[in-house]
Amino acid sequence: MNLLLISAVFSIVGAVLAICTYKAANVAKFFGCIFGILAACAAIGAGIVGITGAQSMSVATPFAFASFSLRIAPLSGLLLIVINVLALMAWIYGLSYFDEYKKRGVGAIGMFMNFFIISMNMVLTVDNAFWFLVFFELMSLTSYFLVITEQNKQSVHGGFLYLVMAHVGFLMIMIAFLIMAATTGSFEFEVFRNTEFSPAIASIVFLLGFAGFGCKAGMFPFHSWLPQAHPAAPSNVSSLMSGGMIKIGVFGMILVGLDLLGSCDCQLWWGLTILTIGAISSVLGVAYALDEHDIKKLLAYHSVENIGIILLGVGIGFIGVAIDQPVLAGLGMMAGLFHLVNHAMFKGLLFLGAGSVLYSTGTRNMNILGGLTKVMPVTSVCFLIGSLAISAIPPLNGFVSEWFTYQSLFTAAMDNGPLIIVFCAIAAVALAITGALAVTCFVKAYGVTFLGAPRSEGARKAREVPGSMLVSMIVLAVVCVCLGVGAPWITPYIEGIATSVTQGAPIVVAGAVESVNPALGSAISTPLLACLLIVCILLPLAFRAAFRSGGMARDRDPWACGYLPTADMPVIATTFGSDVKMFLSPLYTARDAIVSTSAGFSAAFQKTVRGTDKAQSWGDRFLVDPIAALVSLTSRAVARIEGGNHRVYILYIVGALVIFLILAVLL
Amino acid sequence: MEIVIAIVQALLVLLLAPLISGMSRKIRAKMHTRQGPPLLQDYYDIGKLFKRQDVHTSDSSLIHRIMPPLYMGCMLVLAAGMPMVTRLCPVPLIGDMILIIYLLALPRFFFSLASVDSGASYSGIGGARELVLGVLVEPAMMLSLFVVALATGTTNVGDMGAAIASGNVTVIVAIVIAGIAFLCSVYVELGKLPFDLAEAEQELMEGPLSEYSGPSLGMLKMSMSMKQIIMVSWLCAVFIPWGSAATIAALPLLLGLVFWLVKIFVIFFIVSIVENLVARVRFKLAGHQTWAFVGIAAVALVFCLIGL
Repeated sequence: MNLLLISAVFSIVGAVLAICTYKAANVAKFFGCIFGILAACAAIGAGIVGITGAQSMSVATPFAFASFSLRIAPLSGLLLIVINVLALMAWIYGLSYFDEYKKRGVGAIGMFMNFFIISMNMVLTVDNAFWFLVFFELMSLTSYFLVITEQNKQSVHGGFLYLVMAHVGFLMIMIAFLIMAATTGSFEFEVFRNTEFSPAIASIVFLLGFAGFGCKAGMFPFHSWLPQAHPAAPSNVSSLMSGGMIKIGVFGMILVGLDLLGSCDCQLWWGLTILTIGAISSVLGVAYALDEHDIKKLLAYHSVENIGIILLGVGIGFIGVAIDQPVLAGLGMMAGLFHLVNHAMFKGLLFLGAGSVLYSTGTRNMNILGGLTKVMPVTSVCFLIGSLAISAIPPLNGFVSEWFTYQSLFTAAMDNGPLIIVFCAIAAVALAITGALAVTCFVKAYGVTFLGAPRSEGARKAREVPGSMLVSMIVLAVVCVCLGVGAPWITPYIEGIATSVTQGAPIVVAGAVESVNPALGSAISTPLLACLLIVCILLPLAFRAAFRSGGMARDRDPWACGYLPTADMPVIATTFGSDVKMFLSPLYTARDAIVSTSAGFSAAFQKTVRGTDKAQSWGDRFLVDPIAALVSLTSRAVARIEGGNHRVYILYIVGALVIFLILAVLL
Repeated sequence: MEIVIAIVQALLVLLLAPLISGMSRKIRAKMHTRQGPPLLQDYYDIGKLFKRQDVHTSDSSLIHRIMPPLYMGCMLVLAAGMPMVTRLCPVPLIGDMILIIYLLALPRFFFSLASVDSGASYSGIGGARELVLGVLVEPAMMLSLFVVALATGTTNVGDMGAAIASGNVTVIVAIVIAGIAFLCSVYVELGKLPFDLAEAEQELMEGPLSEYSGPSLGMLKMSMSMKQIIMVSWLCAVFIPWGSAATIAALPLLLGLVFWLVKIFVIFFIVSIVENLVARVRFKLAGHQTWAFVGIAAVALVFCLIGL
């Protein structure tokens, strides 16, 4: 607990020093990064302490209704570690990467990023609805300012979409908390936990919380802001947002569904809803990713996919709690949480890798890259490891958590009614399609970016990135390998956290060298597999080297039917996309139909929502756009009392919140 | 003892691989009323390839060079873990169905990566097709095995086969239909006509193979043949487990070996006949067939749910 407060102090000091010295970019960068690193280390320590057991503290505040209480439960400890490991790597990466931003306000980035991380840490640990909302809003606002760092059209547009979506989510979460507060007469989570809400209220609160936190998590149909907002931010911030922040959405769902509503009966349809949304998110996320040739947009869409996979596990966890099968609940939750950890690590790594490519070539368009593996070997190997991990290739970490997800789906299907079997079968098939599409997508991303011949001057002149950027990528790559190969020794800790969430007895998920599904008795051993693969690959390699009596020839141009090969002959990113689109066209028609809407109704509709162009999904059209239009209308109306100063906005929101809360208490 | 069996299996698959591909060449020649090459021609070919130079394209990187040994290594691991002679997996820890599906994705990943790496347009197209085919086949494969897992209560392929062989399964119709769906997906994975899309001799000039030569090409040809044997053995292990050695003793093992050889030779004989009777499916239409396979697997699930 003390470590968490120390971390907060470091962050605040770093933020203040960074903004005070903004004129001297180097000094500001140094202060921001060094204090950020110290804060992240302290918070990791707090997380490790938190995993071992829940701790709490409470401080009285001027508001009688909202004492400032903090609680580090095992789940929040795990997320503290995950987010702060990413934050640590982002800061180390920033030591060199922020040189790019010297003329674009590195001091402000340092300040907002420090506040962003501290607000995420606080959201995870705070134990009071009022303060939760305050920090949740602070998290959204600070990350909004990071998204619009570039100040170009794309980032401002993406940032606005993000701001709207964040507040749609915020609104739903606030209503959920206010309903609970109105029922219990308190804002303390501790009181919520011990209150038995009526099933109707519990279901409404769950749905509001699920949808609200789903906006933050970027699940379908609230995913449209991810590919707009994440690519616009500086790459290490993208890695922190895509790897870390969206996990707070998942954390929130678990918090509301299993912790705050812990005294009520968990309903079966809650779990089935999560499972369905998870399956849809995973398939659509990866299918849309395949259609992208902007490397950071592609990665952002993959976050939608992976949130879907995490939700599959979490959904099984909810189902297990609902039908009173503690082993199933623990297994599903463990699969979800392990994939959460793994996704944070490899997605962080991949975004940092994409940042390195951007840093040394100046473009994110894969179609004009290529051949980078020869000039950026370390980045290339790290990105390859990340690609293999996210494609769930054994024995890396993404595979182990997907294996556990499959196992939990299979376990749920056994000995249960046809309803659950059908949902699980569809989810398993969705996961299989997702896995195969992810392989396709990352062969494309890695192959087109790093392999073959360079297709532009920028790619030809690229150089390996500076040391501090390499260090953070190497560390994350090593973590990915260790989480995969060392799974039997790591999963018991995750299992401890999962069973503490589902309030079941501990289950056995690992043997001496194997990962085990205790319900079915299935087992795999990633360490054994890794050894076997190394031996079996080295043998043919050595054999080929020893018996190659013909020797190595000089390398030749590729064969092109007798013509001289040219740079536009090899496959590019769009080749892969069009192939898959041909077979899975129904998945895209939903999106395309909305983009090129028919006349009549939509023409009238579009007049009202001209403020936001390019609707991407049903969620956008029917949910975001009207709200966005409303926001821009009202903001024009109140423009006179706004100075354009963001600090005033923060004040308004806090003020509005306080008034709402006072109203809620009085009424 | 199991470890010895695993190593022997891996070596057996390695050594039999050229024979299987030679056999299909011979059958094709006979159906064309040609004399055809000798049965052992593929052994000679590979022997000769190893004496040739290893040429790679000038833009390619290490991925292109490391892919053939990696492909072969994955096949050796799979061959060691798959129940072939025995009923149960020789190494149960690598015999999980999900692990096998994803372990097949590892060589596929590098195979396609190497084809992009070569910088040749035909290779790249073949590589992309290989991946798309994987996307189309995996749902049917997963769903049919899901049904078997439901019926047998396990995800280990050896235990699945053992449960089916012992007759402890109540949903026989579902298993048979799932077997048909799985057979179809295995056939697609074999890369034979009408699904010879990635290497597509006449269309893409062997696609990803076109930029390989010498020992690398030899190794790759063997590995692809090994993959075919492994896929067929997988089918036999789960759906036609009869005859394999249920216990580890000399006589059952010998019988199991004979049964396994008979099973794969019969299946490859039928496959070769089918291959020469059909025309290549247009790439764009491959999806129609594969979604039909998913449909068959879904029917199996329905039968499983109603307990037939």
